[in-house]
Amino acid sequence: MRSLHPLTRTVAALSAIALLILAAGCSQSTDTGTAGSASVATSQATSAPMAKAASKLGDLSAFQTIAADVATLVDKGDLAAAKTRVKDLEVSWDSAEAGLKPRAASDWHMLDKSIDHALSALRADTPSQADCKSAMVELMTTFDSLQAKP
Amino acid sequence: MNTLAPPLVPNRLNKVPEAVLTFWIIKIMCTTVGETGADYLAVNAGFGQGVTRAVMGALLAVALFVQLRKHRYTPWIYWLTVVLISVVGTQITDLLTDGLGVSLYVSTSAFAVALAGIFAVWYWVERSLSIHEIFTRRRELFYWSTILCTFALGTAAGDLATEALGLGFAWGTVAFSTLIAMTYAAWRLGGNAVLTFWIAYILTRPLGASLGDMLTQSKTYGGLGMGAMWTSALFLTVIVMLVADEHVNFGTGRRNT
Repeated sequence: MRSLHPLTRTVAALSAIALLILAAGCSQSTDTGTAGSASVATSQATSAPMAKAASKLGDLSAFQTIAADVATLVDKGDLAAAKTRVKDLEVSWDSAEAGLKPRAASDWHMLDKSIDHALSALRADTPSQADCKSAMVELMTTFDSLQAKP
Repeated sequence: MNTLAPPLVPNRLNKVPEAVLTFWIIKIMCTTVGETGADYLAVNAGFGQGVTRAVMGALLAVALFVQLRKHRYTPWIYWLTVVLISVVGTQITDLLTDGLGVSLYVSTSAFAVALAGIFAVWYWVERSLSIHEIFTRRRELFYWSTILCTFALGTAAGDLATEALGLGFAWGTVAFSTLIAMTYAAWRLGGNAVLTFWIAYILTRPLGASLGDMLTQSKTYGGLGMGAMWTSALFLTVIVMLVADEHVNFGTGRRNT
């Protein structure tokens, strides 16, 4: 019985690897179905023409578009809708961390901190219009400053 | 102390598995699932970091309690404990870095010193660091503290490589695989088995993270674009298959003669 173990183990290991490769191949089709990261990728591609000089982090327009939506909602005074929309920013930003951060870690942290401020302003127990507005202004400024950089 | 080659007859008293190929495959996958799973709960499911930390900490306490009560190696609870330690170890490092603003240079060195400290006390008390003879409560506690520390250290060191060297997941996978291959070669050439085992244990943490990122990240960033949910589901399935296989081989205790 003991002699079977190495074989079972090898078969298990090989099947694990085969599954991974299979999954990687299938991801071509499932890619469009996975909402979070994939929708960021496509909307980045479509909104690219209006992008200014790309930052060191690459094309940030997808995140900037969501942030602009949030800022508009805050200006209108609809903080509840802004809170809902900012989650899209949180999720897409968070899921792109491993792709973006290595490109320019300090720029990434700068933007990450601004996004954190916006999140905590909008998620305060009693969110204040003024706090949310200033957090969003700060965030939009950060986006602009990163893209202005050569 | 210097023998990591699996003994012909597995030690029935040992409460932890031998370091064979399956062991490393499950370990690496646990790392990925631990990280993407915790992230999913905190961000996508919207529980926030605080609640996720508390829940994972509590789950780990329960799993560890059950694991300590078992009298021999029981694959499902052993690996459940490893997944939860992987999550909590990562959370400790993230809390220090993001929450308390501790520099990664400081946390990496602090965890390295802590790990050396655990080894020193372990050796001083037990006169052995062998992972083949984990059959007392005290030795098992040393074992699990070491594992928690290696996950925290592996996270900090891996993040440091990203921050300081700009090491993305593609090069990260290559770099950490190379380091693991070198560790393996060192062991084959007669290097200290206990030392090389724990070095590999630390290195598989950032390797697991890089591999996970490669699968989850969108194609825009050079990943395969599978997304966190599908990657976690896939890895979890493979882990369950391999652990079930461990149960068939070890679990009954009757088939290992």
